[in-house]
Amino acid sequence: MKHLTEEELIEHYYLEDFYKAEAELHLQACGQCAQAYENLGRLLGSVRAPEAPARNAEYGAQVWQSIQGSLQPYSQKKKRFSFFWRQLAYAAACLLVLAGAFFAGRKWEHAHTSSIAANVEPKAKERVVLFVLDNHLDRSERLLVQLKHASADGAEIDQPLQSEARQLLTDNRLYRQSAAHANDPLLNATLDHLQRVLLEVANSPDGLNAADLARIEKEMNTQNLLFQIRILRTKVAGQGTNAQAARKGASI
Amino acid sequence: MGNDDHALVRAVLAGDKDAYGALVTRHSQSVFRVAFRITENEADADEVVQEAFLRGYRKLEGFDARANFQTWIYRIAMNCALDVLNKKKSHSVVPISEEYDADQPAIQPADQSAGPDRLLLSQEIEARRQAAMEKLTATERLAFVLRHMEDRSTEEIAEALGIAPNSAKQAVFRAIQKLRQSLAPLWVKP
Repeated sequence: MKHLTEEELIEHYYLEDFYKAEAELHLQACGQCAQAYENLGRLLGSVRAPEAPARNAEYGAQVWQSIQGSLQPYSQKKKRFSFFWRQLAYAAACLLVLAGAFFAGRKWEHAHTSSIAANVEPKAKERVVLFVLDNHLDRSERLLVQLKHASADGAEIDQPLQSEARQLLTDNRLYRQSAAHANDPLLNATLDHLQRVLLEVANSPDGLNAADLARIEKEMNTQNLLFQIRILRTKVAGQGTNAQAARKGASI
Repeated sequence: MGNDDHALVRAVLAGDKDAYGALVTRHSQSVFRVAFRITENEADADEVVQEAFLRGYRKLEGFDARANFQTWIYRIAMNCALDVLNKKKSHSVVPISEEYDADQPAIQPADQSAGPDRLLLSQEIEARRQAAMEKLTATERLAFVLRHMEDRSTEEIAEALGIAPNSAKQAVFRAIQKLRQSLAPLWVKP
């Protein structure tokens, strides 16, 4: 038989147990628990609430009289609180001004940074142009060297070389258009010259044999063109180095 | 009465200060009774009543309209009583007397018509009960008073003390165990 715990006995005493009927049956059957419950009842029965001294019917009114002087009506309290709200409004206004100053500062900083970026941007663009132009001149130079070797060896020019010439021709048109705006006579002249040679190489319908190459080399003075390209490449390489140095200086 | 209380609370918050007077008048007696059972001192209980209604007025804007005003003001009174108890504990030591002390008005035997032996036992029980009550923590004491003397349910005690129902139940158990330790020797059968 499972005995009732002390907690269960206390709950039963205060009639707060969920299983009142079961507990009652157990107490009737179990002498040990019944004894414990009797002791508990005797203990708690002896603890009587101290008798509160009587208070007359006017007690509530007396309490009210004693405290009402220190109470502010709620509407007046609100008026008093308006001072608090006014202070809060000042604080909010200060915060607003601070926030405005912060954002204005950020905007100014952003505009300032943008102007620096705007100054830097053409230089960056120039570096890209120089890099691409150098690449184009490099490819053109290699093509001309291959044509020169083919002419010297008496070999026929192969299809991939012609395809490369066509690709270079397309690119060269774009560079010529760009170079027309730049005041660089050497670049203009060289790209014009290269245009004519590339046209000849790219547009020969039956391919180019050694005789054709020798003719092109002679009529179009490809040797001179090769020389011009090398000068240009040296010049472009020099400009690229200057631009890089300028960039490093700007970043410092 | 609950609805009337809510109407009075609304009136107070709308600026009618005197409406709070009606609430004070209505609940002062019951707050005094519970305050006295906790503090066991008339002057302290009066102080608790005044302080509880003062605090109640200042906190009235936070009163939940769904709550019962009496339970709410009880809870405030509990805290005020707790403050009084803590203040007294830090300033004085309650004497644990084995004998009846006529200078202590709080220790009064209830049964004046009993014989000398019975009277002596009542005084002994009362002295030990007081001593035992002093040994309880504030929560245990409040929980026990509400459970045993005010006949409040565990849920009501938990709400009044702002603790979980299970904590309230445990507080009552611990209080009874401590009382048993103090009072059990009186019940040893000859």
